[in-house]
Amino acid sequence: MAQFALRRVLQLILVFFVVTFVAFASLKLVGDPLFNLVGVISGITEEQCEAVARGELEDTFTSGGNIGDCALIQRAKAENHLDKGVPQRYGIWVINMFRGDFGTSFVNGDEISDIIADRLPVSVRLIVLAQLIALGIAVPWGVAAAYRANRGFDKVSTVGSFALLSVPNFALGVILLYFFSLRWQIFPSRYENHGWWSEFKALILPAATLALGLAATYQRLLRTDLITTLQEDFVHMARAKGLSDRHIMYRHALRPSLFSVVTVFGVNTGALIGGALVVEQIYSIPGVGTELVEAVLRNDPPVVVALIAVVAVGFVLVNFLVDLVYAYLDPRVRSA
Amino acid sequence: MNVVLDEAEAKKLGCIFWLAVGWLGVLVATTSFAPLLPIEDPSAIATGPARSGPSLDNWFGTDALGRDVFARTVYGARVSLVVGFVAIAFGMVVGGTLGIIAGYFKGSIDLIVNFAFFALLSFPGLVLALLITSTFDRSLRTVSLTLAVLAVAPIGRLARATTLLYGEREFVQAARVLGARHFRIITRELLPVVMIPMAALALLGMGVAIVAEGGLAFLQLSVEEISWGVIINDGRGIRDLQENPHVALMPIAAMFITILSLNFAGDRLRDYFDVRETAF
Repeated sequence: MAQFALRRVLQLILVFFVVTFVAFASLKLVGDPLFNLVGVISGITEEQCEAVARGELEDTFTSGGNIGDCALIQRAKAENHLDKGVPQRYGIWVINMFRGDFGTSFVNGDEISDIIADRLPVSVRLIVLAQLIALGIAVPWGVAAAYRANRGFDKVSTVGSFALLSVPNFALGVILLYFFSLRWQIFPSRYENHGWWSEFKALILPAATLALGLAATYQRLLRTDLITTLQEDFVHMARAKGLSDRHIMYRHALRPSLFSVVTVFGVNTGALIGGALVVEQIYSIPGVGTELVEAVLRNDPPVVVALIAVVAVGFVLVNFLVDLVYAYLDPRVRSA
Repeated sequence: MNVVLDEAEAKKLGCIFWLAVGWLGVLVATTSFAPLLPIEDPSAIATGPARSGPSLDNWFGTDALGRDVFARTVYGARVSLVVGFVAIAFGMVVGGTLGIIAGYFKGSIDLIVNFAFFALLSFPGLVLALLITSTFDRSLRTVSLTLAVLAVAPIGRLARATTLLYGEREFVQAARVLGARHFRIITRELLPVVMIPMAALALLGMGVAIVAEGGLAFLQLSVEEISWGVIINDGRGIRDLQENPHVALMPIAAMFITILSLNFAGDRLRDYFDVRETAF
């Protein structure tokens, strides 16, 4: 077990570094962070500065420039390590991050750790609520479908889950918003937070948007696995003992049928984070996704990389936990 | 998804399959010949009264600027389908090649390729798309290629798994004994069997790519042209939804039927050829 966990940890750490490094390196290409730090004078080149230092050029050659611009640029570069290469900067960034220092936004100077502390809880609540709704729908649905497989209810639910899987999540978001919030006015159309109850109500529609597609996936997997499990001897045994169908389904057959659902639970976290990006936009939820999109659009690399790191850590952690749950459900995995 | 069917039934594609293929055919034909059809210019404003509901003149109604939603949906389909097709075609070529090579040669090549797939899959897809489209531009080419990069890993993994499954089978060994070169074994022996599951996945993947493009449109990061995602995003404001919901709902319906058709056709093909994705 320990060896299994260790190997997974190493693998996931590697993934974390690859993901953050790719994000870090690719952001070097996005615009010019120096521009956001010092404004129009960022266009001054090294050669021009050297020319000024040699006295060949006057230090007043750009629109917003004046004496001392070169020094200002050099200080900004040094403070933000922009004068070093990408691998070095990445190293500095990782070390600082493990100290809990994510740096500051290039655009408005906010502490990034504050931004994360502000935005992350909302997104986590959204995703957790979505998973809970999805499981809450999928487990009884899957059990009911498998209980009388290939009969009327199962056939209808197959068609239903197929249709649900074909609705893009942003389309579902718009449809739910239209009916439940604009037409019937049951839920608010925008995020609000005056106490936990109002936030809960505001998060139900976005969470349901994310959950319905997930529920269909889970239901299909659970149904298939349950049908297999119901052929097992111990189920016949339980039936022979005269236990009720409900007891057999939920107490005996459910646990060994959860493998596929648990696996997909982990894999789907990535899709869910992507989906949350879009759903947060539709319902104006101030979560990590909204902030990430805003940071990309306002060209704020430190914020973007930090948020992607948060997402990567979350993804890695969920997958690690899923592996542990997996090993708990099936003892054979531990030695694999 | 495995729709449980009787043996005899499983070997027929069924009439709903042909219905789905028919819809896709009509869609492709309509969108290819859109400029020749008697429909409005999708960008022309005031083709009818603004914010009017569906009528004989404007089948899907008009939006806030009086643009014809039907014309926009038809032209939007062009972009969405092109994005979906290019993404999957690229994913098949690159992912398929890498997957087959990794599965065939095994060893350290396999280790590297498989880790690359793993890393790609562990990156939330939309975040990667966000990074790429914000780094470069929002042209049709960039968006298609971005989604193509996302398609590489899942397709590649399937190609690798299928190759591993068949790589040591008798017909491959026979070819090897007969002195066939690696290139010939891969292209003549393995490619035909690997192509079948990939084709089924390609149809499903096209749906995913079309949806992903729509998602990017919602983040204001998709193409500048009219696509389904762009139209739906245009019509999703609170006021638009309240006064003229058809602007968003009509393209959503078109998109839903298309994705449903792609999913159903792909699913039936997969059952038909009895593809198992978990083959390792």
